[in-house]
Amino acid sequence: MSTLSPETRQDAGDPRPGATSAPPIDRHVSHPWLIVLTREILVKVRDKAFIFSTLFTLVVIVGMVLFNAFMANRTQDFSIATDSDAGTQLVQTAGAMLSGDDEMTAEQVTRDEARQLVADEEADAAIYQEDGRWVILADSQLDGALDNTLTAAVNEYTMAANAQAAGITPEQLREGAQFEIEYLSGGNDRGFATYIMRFVFAMLFYMSAVIFGMAIANSVLEEKQNRVVEILATAIPIRQLLYGKILGNCILAFAQIALYAGAGLLTANIAGVTGEFGWALEAAGWFIVFFVFGFAAQATIWAVLGSLASRSEDLQSNTTAITMILVAGMFAGILAQGPWLAVASYVPIISSIAMPVRMLEGQAQMWEPFVALAVCLAFGWFMVRLGEKVYQRAVFQGGRSLSWRQALKLEQ
Amino acid sequence: MTTSPQGTPPGTDAPQRPAHAAPAWQRTSRTYTPTATGHRLEVRDLTRTFGDKTAVDQVSFTVEPGRMTGFIGANGAGKTTTMRMMMGVLRITAGEVLWNGEPIKDADRAAFGYMPEERGLYPKQTILDQLGYLGQLRGMNRADALAEANRLLERFALGDRTKDKLETLSLGNQQRVQIAAALLHQPNALILDEPFSGLDPVAVDSMVDLLREHMDRGVPVLFSSHQLDLVNRLCDSMVILDHGKVLAAGTADELRASRPKRHRLRCSQDVGWVRAVPGVTVEDLEGTEATLSLDDDEARQGLLQRAVDHGLLEFTDLAPTLSEIYREVTR
Repeated sequence: MSTLSPETRQDAGDPRPGATSAPPIDRHVSHPWLIVLTREILVKVRDKAFIFSTLFTLVVIVGMVLFNAFMANRTQDFSIATDSDAGTQLVQTAGAMLSGDDEMTAEQVTRDEARQLVADEEADAAIYQEDGRWVILADSQLDGALDNTLTAAVNEYTMAANAQAAGITPEQLREGAQFEIEYLSGGNDRGFATYIMRFVFAMLFYMSAVIFGMAIANSVLEEKQNRVVEILATAIPIRQLLYGKILGNCILAFAQIALYAGAGLLTANIAGVTGEFGWALEAAGWFIVFFVFGFAAQATIWAVLGSLASRSEDLQSNTTAITMILVAGMFAGILAQGPWLAVASYVPIISSIAMPVRMLEGQAQMWEPFVALAVCLAFGWFMVRLGEKVYQRAVFQGGRSLSWRQALKLEQ
Repeated sequence: MTTSPQGTPPGTDAPQRPAHAAPAWQRTSRTYTPTATGHRLEVRDLTRTFGDKTAVDQVSFTVEPGRMTGFIGANGAGKTTTMRMMMGVLRITAGEVLWNGEPIKDADRAAFGYMPEERGLYPKQTILDQLGYLGQLRGMNRADALAEANRLLERFALGDRTKDKLETLSLGNQQRVQIAAALLHQPNALILDEPFSGLDPVAVDSMVDLLREHMDRGVPVLFSSHQLDLVNRLCDSMVILDHGKVLAAGTADELRASRPKRHRLRCSQDVGWVRAVPGVTVEDLEGTEATLSLDDDEARQGLLQRAVDHGLLEFTDLAPTLSEIYREVTR
């Protein structure tokens, strides 16, 4: 309509002569992602639901460690009634076998008195010999530890007596009568304890991935639904928004897992049970490293899912696939054995559970976790590149929910 | 920031730019005269296609520094698509956006104030907090952003609600926060999609005052609206868009001048005779009054000579209202 007037200024940030207000603003934002990241974190840590769930989980973790410590440190005093010197001797042998501060005392009385003591619950059990057999008499139930110890003691005692009768030492009698345990994989399966650790790794990863993943998706969707993203996109490159969001939630997830681990270890330390978990510490350290990589690798996926949805209802359906992958990862971590576990330990995301589990069981070579981490890193990089493309297109498309393919076909 | 009633602060040279002086029809209703300095925003042959459909078709217009340009058109005319392309939210199929005569850069846009069509900031965040965040993203430090946000909210009578979540505010108040978000960073240009929808007349006035303060700094303002009377009242110039094409653009006077003129004639006697005057087209005739248009000055002379003989009482130009122009060009 008209040409550029000579007094029209060329540079955006300059003060204009005659401007009635405001000094010039230096509009350069050096790290926009950092501002986005800070907001993500601040909003979340002020969220009551987030604070409550974190505190609740902390209480559960501390409670579990304390319960374990209590069970481990609990001292038991067994009182055993018996009617013979042999019985008293046997109880002393058993007492020496007890772990920790547990004690066992014998009370030598007549058999009837012994029965009465058990009936009155003044003795935990009575032992006597009848027709050459040893009998344990208990009221209605026998403590497992007591049963095991007495059985081991009676074995020891009888063997010693038999050896003496045969004129040899108990060691000679026992020679070759024990299994030496060897492992094909060179590991040492701690059975139940390992299983618990696998379960803990798997659950922690799954929970964090889903909870923070959903937080990322919702945060993206909130901006899309309310069109804030259009305002933000005019202020900063949209990619920076994605980075800030993902990094912010990664930091929150890491901080939370570090808080849980820290609280667990501190409680274990104070309760004096660290020694019992020492073997798991290395694997737990690796778990945290794998958690960081695995979580970061899948975070972009959640951001993209948020951008593809148009309402929060859409998130329930379009997050099914990633949730299933995480569930598969969790079960692989808890249940998989042998080659299945070995394969799982290289699959990105799933490796975050499977590789620490293999290390926990001592199955992995030194180089293996590094390779798995590299694979995970490559996958994460690819997802960020692809995710950026989808996100930039989908986040401005209102109206309907999209698939990855549809979004990639969109013109920006 | 203070209002400058004359609108021409010292150091400006408004007289050199007569095109910017308020047209005569506006002078009575307001004292505002736009400044001559500032930035100019221009679109040239802007085109956007979605598949086979051309949503915006070679649209060109200019938003002059310190002036308010109304963007009018029916739903689906392409106003929002054009504004989104100007803001860089939507890719441009063809054409260009110029900022002070140069192709626009992202850094230029970062200094704009923008209000998208569908509203909403963060519903679950407190209003002061989110304004602070938006200011930071526009290059302000947080303290400045919060201070400016407080000042604007105070002005919108929201000073006591700064710690409230956005979703607890009424829609009108949410709209005010949205406006504050667009103005917070002393924008260099304002692109506002339906900024007045949902505001009561008093709120519209107070917002217009605020916009004028920014226009005094030389800020070009483009706003879209369905409310023709509002555009008529507020805008220095307007762009009428229909089916993706610019049908008319210019100041209200320019638009009026480009339309065929209509006149009203009133005499003391019956005016039935006007039908016989050459070059006169009668649109409406009732007893002593007629609405008509004239082909040329010769027709005017012929008409007036005869009118004097019939007891001429009144002969006036009928300026078309904006609504009439709009209806006519979009017909």
